[in-house]
Amino acid sequence: MVDYMTQESEWEPKLLGFLCKWCSYAGADLAGTSRKKYPANIRVIRVPCSGRVDPLFILKALRLGFDGVLVSGCHPGDCHYQTGNYYARRRMAITKKFLEYMGIEPQRIQASWVSASEGEKFTEVVTEVTKALKETGPNRLFTDERRRNATKTTE
Amino acid sequence: MKKVTDSKKISKKNIAKLLDEWRQEFTVLVPWRDETVAKWARWDGKDTSFLDWYRNTVVPPKAIFFPPMEEMFSFQKDREGYHLELPASDESKQLIFGIRPCDAKALAVLNMTFSDAYEDPYYLAKRNGGVLVGLGCTNPYDSCFCTSLDSSPTDSANVDLMLTDIGDDFLVEAITDKGKALMAKTSLAEAVTRADEARAKDVKETTYAKVTKKIDTEGIKEKLLSGFDNKDLWEKIAAKCISCGICTFLCPTCYCFDINDELVKNQGERFRSWDSCAFPLYTKMPMENPRVEKWRRLRQKVCHKYVFYPMNFDVIACTGCGRCIRLCPVNWDITQTLDNLSAEAQVKMEK
Amino acid sequence: MKDGGMQQKLRSEAKALLEQGKVDYIIGFEAGSLKFTTTPLITSDKDDIDRLVINPFIVNNLSVYLSELKGRAGIVVKGCDSRSIVSLLQDNKVARENVVILGVPCSGIIDLGKVEKLVGKDRDEIDDIIQDRDRVVITVDENRREFPIREVLFDNCLGCELPTPQEYDILLGELTSAASDEDKIASQKKINSLKNIPPEQRWEFWRSEFDRCIRCYACRNICPACFCDRCFVEETEPPWVLPVPRWQDNLVFQVIRNMHVAGRCTDCGECERACPVNIPLRSLTREMYDMVDELFHYKAGMDKEASSFLAAYEATDVEDFIR
Repeated sequence: MVDYMTQESEWEPKLLGFLCKWCSYAGADLAGTSRKKYPANIRVIRVPCSGRVDPLFILKALRLGFDGVLVSGCHPGDCHYQTGNYYARRRMAITKKFLEYMGIEPQRIQASWVSASEGEKFTEVVTEVTKALKETGPNRLFTDERRRNATKTTE
Repeated sequence: MKKVTDSKKISKKNIAKLLDEWRQEFTVLVPWRDETVAKWARWDGKDTSFLDWYRNTVVPPKAIFFPPMEEMFSFQKDREGYHLELPASDESKQLIFGIRPCDAKALAVLNMTFSDAYEDPYYLAKRNGGVLVGLGCTNPYDSCFCTSLDSSPTDSANVDLMLTDIGDDFLVEAITDKGKALMAKTSLAEAVTRADEARAKDVKETTYAKVTKKIDTEGIKEKLLSGFDNKDLWEKIAAKCISCGICTFLCPTCYCFDINDELVKNQGERFRSWDSCAFPLYTKMPMENPRVEKWRRLRQKVCHKYVFYPMNFDVIACTGCGRCIRLCPVNWDITQTLDNLSAEAQVKMEK
Repeated sequence: MKDGGMQQKLRSEAKALLEQGKVDYIIGFEAGSLKFTTTPLITSDKDDIDRLVINPFIVNNLSVYLSELKGRAGIVVKGCDSRSIVSLLQDNKVARENVVILGVPCSGIIDLGKVEKLVGKDRDEIDDIIQDRDRVVITVDENRREFPIREVLFDNCLGCELPTPQEYDILLGELTSAASDEDKIASQKKINSLKNIPPEQRWEFWRSEFDRCIRCYACRNICPACFCDRCFVEETEPPWVLPVPRWQDNLVFQVIRNMHVAGRCTDCGECERACPVNIPLRSLTREMYDMVDELFHYKAGMDKEASSFLAAYEATDVEDFIR
């Protein structure tokens, strides 16, 4: 098994995680306090609910250069706000499929249900997603081959 | 006494050669199109088929000197502060081949704006190195109305060289010293016969008559101002507008722009990009937005062109190219609006 | 379209609505200032009513004006437009009692771009375009040429599922039938060709399309589903997307616009028609429409009692992609 912590390989994928405060973020915290190891590729943004995540955030993250985005929330039925994760589920389904139609690799957009007690699951999710991103390769979607996006010429 | 003409002529078959000669000294820009849009682009060195299809482009030649987006400078931020870096200046001289009289006049209007109290370095650096080779129309659109605005489809007033289509050849007139210099260098120019001159005169008259859309600009300033506060009329006029930016972006005389900075980590760029007075947020300020209502924005757009700009620069900021009419998604037509407002003003005056 | 009868009926109904005070405005079509164009007519003056027309060029989706007009409107809609009204009803943006829907059974709108390509002439160089049931007669320099009507109709008209409004107050003519299957396939040709190329090429395709975008926002402003007072592109804190027309920003704008109208866009095609640089926007909007239908068995603008798509959920929503 490749040990991500020692960073032997050159490029490490950058993963942005939107974790819902009540479940997934707590689950990640549990993984930490339980001293479980998981790849350090993930950067976490805490949101009050997975339903807060607008597809705009996901696309903006890819635009900024993140190699992948993970949205994680409470299991259906367990949402702190009753229904937020149901809206997220619908939204994530079309986001994932639509961006795949555009030509973005589907592995770059990930979703998971992680509850506050699922520290172990959180480490598994991050490990699997990081692995998938490593295989997918660096995100060059929004880079420009020209030096700068400067003067939009008439060409 | 009949003056011997300075005009020459160039065979259409020699245009590719001529452009090639010019290409040694200039970046040559010509009308270009694909299945999606007609605009201006760098000449590829061989294709002159634009001579067959070209009536006018969708994106006007203002985009050459005043592009939809432009980097003003880039900057780095560190502990000592900001370090600015100007973009590499484009030393090349550009030759615009085939600009229509309406678009050339529009560039003259833009020049007034960009060299007024503040001389815009980005625009002027490109414009001053630019040479305009005008091409008179033979097939105006039904939406053209240049003849109502002190111009014509074959007007040579604002270019360096003027071409008139006389069949197998172009009649070439040198208008400015830049133009004379260009003609002096080429060996492709032939002498002009009396028949050629007669043909050119005929083409100019015939094409002039083909422009069917007309507006009456007599006293237009006063007429528009007299109806300025007529909210009901302006609301009716503006009702179908959707406040997009098509008319202003594709207008060859419109020049409004926005400036935005982008800072990512410690690097950034300052951009200038096209803006439109038709957008609802155009006049938004922290305290208020004086043009929240669509009719105010439309009134502003019309009056800017036909009242305020003439007050400042003695010229109507519209050259009758007709792009706004052709491309408006709801067929809002400025000539109809001007007619309505004129008629209203007439009624008011007679009361 | 058998317009003669429909046009008469429209004018008399519209006049009656205004005279009886049942509406404050009539929103319809009148002859445009250019050949073969029509333009929206929004009026509260019954003397303007005789300018109303119905013909194969009534292309605009007039329901876009319902979001900004205050008061009651009598509005002329084709099948696709009436679905946009249903979408607006679902969003609670428009109250049903404030609209009197004058439904036009539509047999398709003529795409002038296609006509121009067919005859190799610009619109103003064409003498006449006449629809004769399933054929169109185009006259150029006094030469008459006939084509099957489907060669000049808009792509989304070819695949039209609901040519006759099912939500209406007054129906101005007889029902017309929906598109045939082969027409539906024809309407999605571009999308299907995109799906057949590998992802990197697809992305490259969109990159080059959005390079042309000048951010005029015609697509957004002409869309009835885009009625936000402040669009996300106008947000400066944080600046999600700069107003600068870089292809990256243009692409993010359009993709997110599609996400925000998912399940509310009825594929009226106005965004693609309005675009001055001919970006194939329907290849995005139609795909979203089909995706929502495929994943959630939900068609935009069909059931005014249903909830707006993104503001609802089902216990059985697909979740096989969630870890």
